[in-house]
Amino acid sequence: MCQKASGAHSLALVGVEDAEFEWTRGSPSWFASSNAAKRGFCASCGTPLAYDAPDGLALCVVTFDEPDLITPIIAYGAEGKRSWADGLSKLAEHHTIDDLEDAPFLATLVSYQHPDHDTENWPKQREIE
Amino acid sequence: MIAIPITGGCQCGAVRYVCESLGRPSICHCRMCQKAFGNFFAPLVTGIGITWTRGTRKFFHSSNSNTRGFCADCGTPLTYEHETYGIEIAIGTLDDPDIAIPQLQVNLHSRRACFANLAQTPEPNEKQLESLSKWNGQVINYQHPDHDTTDWPPKSFSKP
Repeated sequence: MCQKASGAHSLALVGVEDAEFEWTRGSPSWFASSNAAKRGFCASCGTPLAYDAPDGLALCVVTFDEPDLITPIIAYGAEGKRSWADGLSKLAEHHTIDDLEDAPFLATLVSYQHPDHDTENWPKQREIE
Repeated sequence: MIAIPITGGCQCGAVRYVCESLGRPSICHCRMCQKAFGNFFAPLVTGIGITWTRGTRKFFHSSNSNTRGFCADCGTPLTYEHETYGIEIAIGTLDDPDIAIPQLQVNLHSRRACFANLAQTPEPNEKQLESLSKWNGQVINYQHPDHDTTDWPPKSFSKP
């Protein structure tokens, strides 16, 4: 379920537990992925944001502005683990610069992603296409 | 062996696709892929000859040159696209992700600190597994199955 919801091989989540928490801009859309839980995502860009189950709300680790503060300490759902998942960190490394010839758009790429800190106004004035 | 046809789609089943073949599977560590997938990295594979067989994906223009396709109903990240260079598919959305085992990793400058040790993350102990099994026993899955369907969602679902 987490694989499909995130389009990836696993999903890193952190429980909010009794911490103070609020959505400070907009609110997520929710998909009931089962009778017991729902998954929150941004309706404008699709980013997976949250998993809400009877034992509490959990947030997608990497959507934090500083994800390195949170390191996963337990791996659930081992029965669904992809046989190749454990080998990912050993994969051959490829530098982006090596793609410039095949994908020259990389040289002039302008990101429209929100920065990793709060902003007063968003989106900023920008020219799309 | 690659299953023919190569099919996939989002979690809720509103958007489905079929591919003629696949190109190079990789994982991308860039911060944009991290956010778009809500994950430490994005596993992507080039999709060749894609036909969208159910529904249409919604797009976010993540940069001046690329768009990212996702399901507007359930949020599943589906694609990373460039007009000239084609469509990369989110490997986790394939009905059989094992046909696209990543071969290399790119955008190493943004690789997260915990990535190298993820495979060593401990699994639940017996007591935790017992409680998980109790929880799992009550769950009715609303996810689209990993194959094409004639009708979706099934009439038997009574969703909240």
